[in-house]
Amino acid sequence: MTERLLIANRGEIAVRISRACRDLGISPVAVFSDADRASLHVRLADHAVGIGPAPARESYLLPEKLIDAAKRTGARLVHPGFGFLAENAAFARAVRDAGLVWVGPDPESISAMGSKTESRARMKAAGVPIVPGMTTPAKDPSEIAAFGREHGFPLLLKAAAGGGGKGMRIVRSEDEVPAAFARARSEAVSFFADDKVYCELYVEKSRHVEVQVLGDRSGRVVALGERECSLQRRHQKVLEECPSPVVSPGLRARMEESAVAAARSVDYVSAGTVEFLLAADGRFFFLEMNTRIQVEHPVTEMVYGVDLVAEMIRIALGEPMSVPQRPEPRGHAVECRIYAEDPSNGFAPSPGTIHRLRWPQGPGIRVDSGVEEGDTIPLDYDPMVAKLVAFGSDRDEAIRRMRRALRETRVEGIETSIPFFLALLDDPDVLSGNVSTQFLEGWTYPGDPAPTDDAAELALVAAAVASARESLSVRGSSQPRPPSAWRTARPTFGHRE
Amino acid sequence: MKYRAKVTSPSGERSVEVEVQLDPTGVVVSLDGRPARWNIVSTPGGGFSVLRADGRQAEAVPHRVGNGTVRVRVGAERVTLELLDELTARAQAVAGKGAYRGSGDVKAAIPGRVLRVLANPGDSVLQGQPVVVLEAMKMENDVRSPRDGVVHSVEVAAGQAVGVGQVLLRLEPAV
Repeated sequence: MTERLLIANRGEIAVRISRACRDLGISPVAVFSDADRASLHVRLADHAVGIGPAPARESYLLPEKLIDAAKRTGARLVHPGFGFLAENAAFARAVRDAGLVWVGPDPESISAMGSKTESRARMKAAGVPIVPGMTTPAKDPSEIAAFGREHGFPLLLKAAAGGGGKGMRIVRSEDEVPAAFARARSEAVSFFADDKVYCELYVEKSRHVEVQVLGDRSGRVVALGERECSLQRRHQKVLEECPSPVVSPGLRARMEESAVAAARSVDYVSAGTVEFLLAADGRFFFLEMNTRIQVEHPVTEMVYGVDLVAEMIRIALGEPMSVPQRPEPRGHAVECRIYAEDPSNGFAPSPGTIHRLRWPQGPGIRVDSGVEEGDTIPLDYDPMVAKLVAFGSDRDEAIRRMRRALRETRVEGIETSIPFFLALLDDPDVLSGNVSTQFLEGWTYPGDPAPTDDAAELALVAAAVASARESLSVRGSSQPRPPSAWRTARPTFGHRE
Repeated sequence: MKYRAKVTSPSGERSVEVEVQLDPTGVVVSLDGRPARWNIVSTPGGGFSVLRADGRQAEAVPHRVGNGTVRVRVGAERVTLELLDELTARAQAVAGKGAYRGSGDVKAAIPGRVLRVLANPGDSVLQGQPVVVLEAMKMENDVRSPRDGVVHSVEVAAGQAVGVGQVLLRLEPAV
């Protein structure tokens, strides 16, 4: 009987999973909301099931509809992708309880890593370095001061009930403790109705470096190097690379060892990512573990020559992973997340219909996208249009190829973040790898570069000719012409609404 | 067809008179009275491969983005220019620029869903003041008043989907 896998996701990652299915001879089953009836991930599938209205909470976030879709189409496997229900232990359990196979870690591992306090405690027990911090709330400022004397300043004061950066204060010296404590406490009350605060060491100029791990049912856990993800806008990664430009082979070995220990401590199977904060002095600390495939997994795939999604499926089927115990990195890969937003207009969202699309091709280029020419980017979901990945024998070559790929890409009808990436890849600090997670907070898009005289003239001639042709056709013919970029510069949504 | 264009490049802003003659044998474009033959071929999606007599080539895709404003992608560059046909250019020169700014409508620049309406009929608003919040692609976007004025009417309600250019509020005519 044909093995079928239900992809409980949409867009680019659904297409990616569908490709892994085909490579393994498995038949992909798509699900779609009303906004995605004819999206690329549906068009590439052998079966497709409608699961409800456009808002995700009425479709892609409903476990019962997804499980029902799997049963109706005879899909035995369920892959959640990322986002939506990917790290929802209850969904993983419901899939398992329905007699289906969850392509991911066990729900127990998801739960253990999903709780900040539980995961910290487990990491401590497993010998994985965590940021030094108080384990109980501070009763008064003197406890904070004592912690600072023991571990050094600066410290980060946090609300125990907090999250999302609210109620946090940096304390740079012992003198600042009393005032900061009072402030943090009153903020904790107003944001979270809970006055408990604690502190941890504040690591300045730190980087976000994460290790890819893979575990199978035989008990093997393998680390596949690190990814550098320090370039973030509004806490969203925008450009990732493998390997990190600052991680030495010795540091890599130590980080991999910690990541494997972290994974083993929760009996991890499938693909997962252990995120670390890397300090300027080479110390690293556990941040969290993402118990799913990551957006940026392709850079690891290119450097380590593996197909992580296919490995996840093999492992879910009870087969051993096909990755050697000591996989060796080769070359360098860079990924840019292309978003439907306009960098010259404050990164305003730019949904709409793509009436011209050319993806880059050629040596070292990989494009993971969920759209084709003619498709509409719906309002309802994440604005990521594609991931552009460039591989080279070294970092310089990968970046040169990325620039070429960005310039070769043509997306008409919507604005994209491509001009932002071209400017970013001209920045000397980005090129030398001298960045931290704060780097993009202090970096503004310089605006579209002034066109050369040549480009200005060619643009002018093209615009005038487009206008003249339009006038001519309006006078000369009653036949409507097919829509073009010129006529429908900012298309409206039509049937999507 | 004759046009008046304004384009900015490193050598500064310049005004150019453009004349386009289309005939079966090709395109002649005169820039400030200097005619030259161009080889221009349509490409998919409304663009052109533009080939100048000296062999310089670029793929250029023009988009009209507003009243007389055209944005052209040339290779990976983006060029914004003003292009008005001669008649409109003359009318605008006579009426003065203000004639094109006086509209009392606040319109959606992007498609989205109305999250909140921040002004009521009769409210005084200042230029640049957010009057409506639109949600698009998981982000909140302020729609700002184009000028100082008094709100005449609100044309949309929270929860409603709106398209590009749709009127969200009307302002009282400027005094």
